[in-house]
Amino acid sequence: MRDDHNDFGRDDRNASGTARGNSAIVSRLAGAVFGRLTGRNRAPKGQRASLDQMHARLLGVGAGFIALFSAIALKLSFATVWMPMEPEKRQIAPQVPTIPKSDPKGEASNDLVLPQVHRATITDRNGQALAISLPVAQVYANPQELIDPKDAAEKLRSVLPQLNEEDTIRRLSEKRQFVYLARDISPVQEISINNLGIPGIYFEPGERRHYPLGTTAAQIMGSVDIDDHGIAGVERYFDKRLNTDRTPLRLSLDVRIQAVVHDELANAMQTFQAIGACAIVMDVRTGEIVAMVSLPDFDANDFAHAPNDSRFNRAVTGMYEPGSTFKLQTAAMALQLGVAHVWDRFSSIPIHIGRFTISDMKTDHFPPWISLPYVMAHSSNPAAAHIALDVGAERQREWLHSMGFLDRVPVELPEASRPLVPSARNWGISTVMTVGFGHGVAEPPLSIVRGTAATVNGGILVRPTLLARDDANTADTTDQNGPLAPRPVLYDPAHDNVGPDSNANADASADVTPQGPRVLSEQTSNTLRKILRLVVTQGIGKNAESPGYFVGGKTGTAEKVGPHGGYLKHVNIGAFTGVFPMNDPHYAVYVMLDSPHPTAQTHGWTTASWNAAPTVSKIISRIGPMLNMFPDTANAAKIDAELAIPMDPGVPSGYRALGPGNDPGDPRNAPHAPTRREVAYRTHEHDVTRTVSSDD
Amino acid sequence: MSASSRVDTSKVARWWRSVDRVTLSATGVLIALGYILMLAASPAVASRIGASRDMFILKQVIFLSIAGAIVLAVSSLSLTGVRRLALIGSVVALAATALTLVHGVEIKGARRWIALPLMSVQPSEFLKPCFAVATAWLLARRRTQRYFPGLLLAFGVFGVILMLLKSQPDIGMLSVITMVFMTQLFVDGLPLFFVAAGVAAMGGAFMMAYIVFPHVRSRVERFLHPNVGDHYQIDTALRAFGNGGLLGRGPGEGRVKDLLPDAHADFVFAVAGEEFGLLVCLGIVCVFLVIVLRTLLKLMREDDPFVIVGASGLVTGFGLQAFVNMGSTLHLIPTKGMTLPLISYGGSSAMSIALTIGMVLALTRKRVGSNAMQERYQPAGDALYRRRAA
Repeated sequence: MRDDHNDFGRDDRNASGTARGNSAIVSRLAGAVFGRLTGRNRAPKGQRASLDQMHARLLGVGAGFIALFSAIALKLSFATVWMPMEPEKRQIAPQVPTIPKSDPKGEASNDLVLPQVHRATITDRNGQALAISLPVAQVYANPQELIDPKDAAEKLRSVLPQLNEEDTIRRLSEKRQFVYLARDISPVQEISINNLGIPGIYFEPGERRHYPLGTTAAQIMGSVDIDDHGIAGVERYFDKRLNTDRTPLRLSLDVRIQAVVHDELANAMQTFQAIGACAIVMDVRTGEIVAMVSLPDFDANDFAHAPNDSRFNRAVTGMYEPGSTFKLQTAAMALQLGVAHVWDRFSSIPIHIGRFTISDMKTDHFPPWISLPYVMAHSSNPAAAHIALDVGAERQREWLHSMGFLDRVPVELPEASRPLVPSARNWGISTVMTVGFGHGVAEPPLSIVRGTAATVNGGILVRPTLLARDDANTADTTDQNGPLAPRPVLYDPAHDNVGPDSNANADASADVTPQGPRVLSEQTSNTLRKILRLVVTQGIGKNAESPGYFVGGKTGTAEKVGPHGGYLKHVNIGAFTGVFPMNDPHYAVYVMLDSPHPTAQTHGWTTASWNAAPTVSKIISRIGPMLNMFPDTANAAKIDAELAIPMDPGVPSGYRALGPGNDPGDPRNAPHAPTRREVAYRTHEHDVTRTVSSDD
Repeated sequence: MSASSRVDTSKVARWWRSVDRVTLSATGVLIALGYILMLAASPAVASRIGASRDMFILKQVIFLSIAGAIVLAVSSLSLTGVRRLALIGSVVALAATALTLVHGVEIKGARRWIALPLMSVQPSEFLKPCFAVATAWLLARRRTQRYFPGLLLAFGVFGVILMLLKSQPDIGMLSVITMVFMTQLFVDGLPLFFVAAGVAAMGGAFMMAYIVFPHVRSRVERFLHPNVGDHYQIDTALRAFGNGGLLGRGPGEGRVKDLLPDAHADFVFAVAGEEFGLLVCLGIVCVFLVIVLRTLLKLMREDDPFVIVGASGLVTGFGLQAFVNMGSTLHLIPTKGMTLPLISYGGSSAMSIALTIGMVLALTRKRVGSNAMQERYQPAGDALYRRRAA
């Protein structure tokens, strides 16, 4: 400023001796403003005035600029500090990563508290996780921000060894703003990459579904797609629920029972070299499915690469002719409708109808007329056909309808399919007969189990479910007293305190009453229990017995329909539907083997009584204790006595039993010209009604 | 340094002693900020238009170097030199502006540019400072030379410029030149009645522009009704400021700036806001204010009407341009595409600003030596005296 001062001072027009330097400026400004014109002798007066006006107006300009720039400064501080306009999230997404917070919804729902996870866990009835979403991250890069793609690729490979270095360098050198580098890396890897400090590398949080138990209940779990939407199984059925409510979805399955059933079924499948198998364990009173296994199965974590055959859930999607298992329905409807009684007798003589013959296997040497318990215990096709004929087409179809056999089985799986049944128009006399012993219709195994449950649980058609019952009892016992509500063997109050199964929780499950429409009377149900028990004690289901569990059940073997429509000889579907304990049925256990081979133990047989029945026995022996039911051998004799029904019951007085000479349903006894409908039936559906002789 | 071959040490030293070093340093600060903000703002824009990410930066380095050279060269001119430069510049720029109407490059609906081999030039940018100095000369000349119709001539030239810019159309440049012209008349001593009349006329002209030009109307409408219409640009700019806060996100850490359509030019102030925050932005405002006020205060000590009117016109144009840019970025006034002097990208803009600053520095230089003194005061004083006396 020295020059300035000197120079300014050199201005000799300020002859009045105004103070030099800065003070001179100030006083000059003041002079200009106030119009004091003193001391400006040397300049002419007019020029001076004009200059002073100019200087004053310069001040005005300066003041104007101060005002304008103050407005800028004011607006600036408003825009930045006082009332800042928040940037939109997407605008600053890479800059301000969301700090992972535990999901309050998850916390409130008692689910695992993991950041970024939105889909609810699926557990079995005991809280064991079956499907769980874990946090992962997708790694992407903005190549425009990268300094050295080669260096970045090398560093990344130290954390992600699966990365192809050359390819990564190429991708990182592209003229783009976004390239994916790796998907679904773990949080640990994410931190490691972050610690590398490579600019331009970003993470996108996500979640990935895991099935920690792998193959366990794989077909039931199904899978999710890349956007976390269920594409199969309960994942699909409950998709919305799982994505909105963080409360873990508790299934009725019990992974321990599931494991045992899987184990035994796999053994049986291997022993008999079957091409497939399935098994169901269902609570006959609540409809809860405790285990459901379909083999072959797959690792649920690798749904995309599982073969179709493995994804196929035989228990609900598979349609099989039920075979003799269906005779239970025939007997149930005849008894319930009063068409037949236990003492009535039916002809086991082969029936010839049109080109077809309904007969039993030649190795069966049945008496020509057999009682209803005998029909069931030894499984005679002609006799069952006669019972069905006595009921008649209309009532038979109605019965099947009321038992849910004509509709999709109501279970929480999108894979549940419609059964294959003839239409009402084609429900002719041969359909009546073949359906009477379980041919000519194809039903999913779960439907068979459901129908069987209704016949033994007191006559209520329950709705099969994969969800754990959500009442207070179950919740309490699950949380406090172990995984399962104890299921004591209850037959008689007198026996309540006998055996280890009677404990404090007995009443927690003892008073479970089946919910649903009544389809049979209690009395009929009681009779059917005895008959099913008879099948195991004295009939062809002996191999299903498990001492102390009072197993009852019905075998069913159906010849498989070949690719060209005809039945294949010696290629069977062998199934056994067991229920235990018969004195107070709790669980139905169903086992089905697809195309089993004979072994030395089965003496060359491939029928259900030789392969499915023993598998049921093994399963019951193992899962009984898990279900808190223990074999009651102490009272075996007594209980069996209570359950006994004579193979050849006497006719009470006052009744004229069906039998020789009193067989109203036999078409040969009431000959009539075949109606047009029946002709049509024979022409079109001859495949289904081919000679059906091989049955047990 | 027009005569660099003859420059000796003492001449440089004399220039250094006489030049306004505060304004010179402030200009240096602006150029430095221009570099820094160009590094921040331009890569996103460059990649959006598909150019190399460093294109804008490299070009701006060249532009600002040339600008710096222009500042230094022009600031060493004598008053006569400045006057000649301005008069020649006015004629050339006026002709070039007229040429844009027949031979201009049309960008975004306006013909303002002339395509040259290396760059597009906006001649009206150069017209602004040259016309300011020319006006000052015309106004001052009428004081020294009797019957010289300075005022009339000035109005005549202004009218021509008005017509040219209206036809382009370039309402922003038009209003700045008008404001500068009015300010110069005001400083020159126009009676306040006429000043008021001029302000009223400007208001009327603005109403006319509002009615005649749809793009003016739409911008004003959008400014007056913030909730109606498309505010993407201004919202994004304000979000950039909001994201910056007091201290900013840090150099290179701005994100909203990537989405600003004209981050490197019209909205560069928002980039500064996002990355460096309120304090640095206030600093930029202060630098502009310092240049303007410092020059105005220096003029207080000047007695040459040509210097006073000329320099005040130049800094008014400079300051108004800064104000319009920052004001529209901050949504203080309707959006007007105008660059932030020396900080925004742009060759024409940088060079015309350099010309402005250079002429301001030349005009406000302390003139050592009796020659200058005689030239400056004696004739002027005599003329004034003579006129008044007559």
